[in-house]
Amino acid sequence: MNKRLVGPALLAGFLLLAVLLHRSTAGYPAFVQGSTASYVRFLAWSLGILCVADLVFSLRRRTAGAGEDETGGRNPRRFWSLLVLLAAYSWALGIFGFFASSLVFLPLTMAAMGSRRPLPIAGTTVGILIFVYIVFVQLLEVSLPEATLF
Amino acid sequence: MIFEAAQSLLAPSALLAVFIGTVAGIIVGGMPGLTATMAVALLIPVTYALHPLTGLVLMGGVYCGAMYGGSIPAILLRTPGTPAAVATAMEGYPLTQQGRGGLALKVSVISSFVGGTFSTLVLLLTAPLLAIFALKFGPPEYFLLAILGLVGIVSLAEEGKLLKALISGVLGLAIAVIGTDPISGNLRYTMGMRELFDGVSFMPALIGMFSITEMLKLTGASHIVHETVDVKSIKREPMPKGLGKFIGLGSCVGTLVGILPGEGATIAAFISYNLARQHSKNRRLFGKGNPEGIAAAESGNNGCVGGSLVPTLTLGIPGNSVAAALLGGLLIHGMIPGPELFTKHGVITYGFILSMFLANLIFLGIGLFFAPYFARISLIPTSLLIPGVCLFSALGSYAMDGNIFDVYVMLGFAVLALVLEKGGFSLGALILGLILGPIAETGFAQGLIIGHGSLGVFFTRGPCQILWAVIVLLLVPPALQFYRNHVRQPIPAAD
Repeated sequence: MNKRLVGPALLAGFLLLAVLLHRSTAGYPAFVQGSTASYVRFLAWSLGILCVADLVFSLRRRTAGAGEDETGGRNPRRFWSLLVLLAAYSWALGIFGFFASSLVFLPLTMAAMGSRRPLPIAGTTVGILIFVYIVFVQLLEVSLPEATLF
Repeated sequence: MIFEAAQSLLAPSALLAVFIGTVAGIIVGGMPGLTATMAVALLIPVTYALHPLTGLVLMGGVYCGAMYGGSIPAILLRTPGTPAAVATAMEGYPLTQQGRGGLALKVSVISSFVGGTFSTLVLLLTAPLLAIFALKFGPPEYFLLAILGLVGIVSLAEEGKLLKALISGVLGLAIAVIGTDPISGNLRYTMGMRELFDGVSFMPALIGMFSITEMLKLTGASHIVHETVDVKSIKREPMPKGLGKFIGLGSCVGTLVGILPGEGATIAAFISYNLARQHSKNRRLFGKGNPEGIAAAESGNNGCVGGSLVPTLTLGIPGNSVAAALLGGLLIHGMIPGPELFTKHGVITYGFILSMFLANLIFLGIGLFFAPYFARISLIPTSLLIPGVCLFSALGSYAMDGNIFDVYVMLGFAVLALVLEKGGFSLGALILGLILGPIAETGFAQGLIIGHGSLGVFFTRGPCQILWAVIVLLLVPPALQFYRNHVRQPIPAAD
């Protein structure tokens, strides 16, 4: 989407969110209408008013959406590769467990990020996994994601 | 009694326990997802077999070390080890990008040391008196304290983006209402997902918005430090002048906020950061790597350590979750909080308090000595660094509650952060709203119940009036600035 359109589009979305948030408070139990429901209505009104004010100022300045565009601007291929690999890793953690998923994720991501030498890739992968095993599993007894597939 | 306590602390076993605890605390604090609460809770059964003083100083060392440790990845990788280190990341990471990570770490450790030492001194000298002050705070005051923290949003706003920062803050507050209604116990906006019953976990959200987003941005760079900086030289820079007043400010705010039960280092760090930003002569440098911001935030969050132990030791009301775990450590040794702790068990209690001075000295030494070596992390090629940071981020998100859903929350917030940044919104303000939301909502709702539905309860009580005065004082300068920029001056049209 055009960078100039992102700001107004988000503001319109938040305005809709404010309306929905306000309407949802009607479903709150009667005894919290004066407490938590009031708080949520206050948030809805604040969000709505601020969005309208910002839309007005944005239209006056015509500079809405002036945030820095760094989302893959410098290397879109690596940016999208990392995002896809992260999504796949999140999914794999629940299926294959932490160590099996990480053993694949780390070298694949290093290769995707431009690392070509096998020794640093293997060394870093093994080093990180040994560190996690010693500190997280042995010393702190933190439970890591376990495999559900096998 | 204090002299006797100091003597007992000089036993080799006690000294070793302080050292091990502090080093372990730095490691735990430096790992996103591993918390001081978790480490102290894990130590409780271990300390049962130890002498009470040895066990307590071990836990105290972890607490002090962890509070400082959170700042190291925040500065070097924009990955706050603890939520309290978010403000530190905002100023520390830009310095790392400029090749000045060593300086940022040095400012952080010295500020942490001063904040921690000051609050321990306050704990040692005035604990019973300050406990009475903590009891004067009820729900209306907590609501206003959250508002005071939210005023920080105004400071976090970039020039010309005040409205967008406010929208981000309200959005954070709106996300924080997801979960169980604190008054009725009904579920709201959970879409039937069991994982959302307790609300959106803010640690995965924070990791996603700060750490993962930064890693995605780094995909186009070879190193964290900008290409223009000589990556071979991480210089040893002297401490910048004029940081004393910001460290003093953070120490006082941290200690006072820490004393209030249930309040935490995150609020203290943000309030200190906000005050520093408003009173700095280098306001324009904030957000671009200003050591003054690091000094205020770090002394603020470490100031909470001693402060949080005031109500814990005197009233048995823990100042925060780590203090609650420490309370468990006291109780298993038969030490009941109250006057007896300072009389019958005085040697152990004062020994424990004195050990925190020692813990502060230990992390100061470690921090100063290792700062240039820690800073070299920024020289690791991103092709090796990004996968490692992503793995620890996912692990940290999971470890908080042992739930894969939190890894998805991390990823979702990373994507949301990228879109919001593209639209010019403030991530700092959003996370501040998310953290302070539950405190604000509970305080507001309970306050209204206390006031029988009248808003007057937020204005008539003494502490409330003081808090309102501080809030108004903090809001006046940015309001005048906004008026000058948007109302008095005509807005120039774009090309």
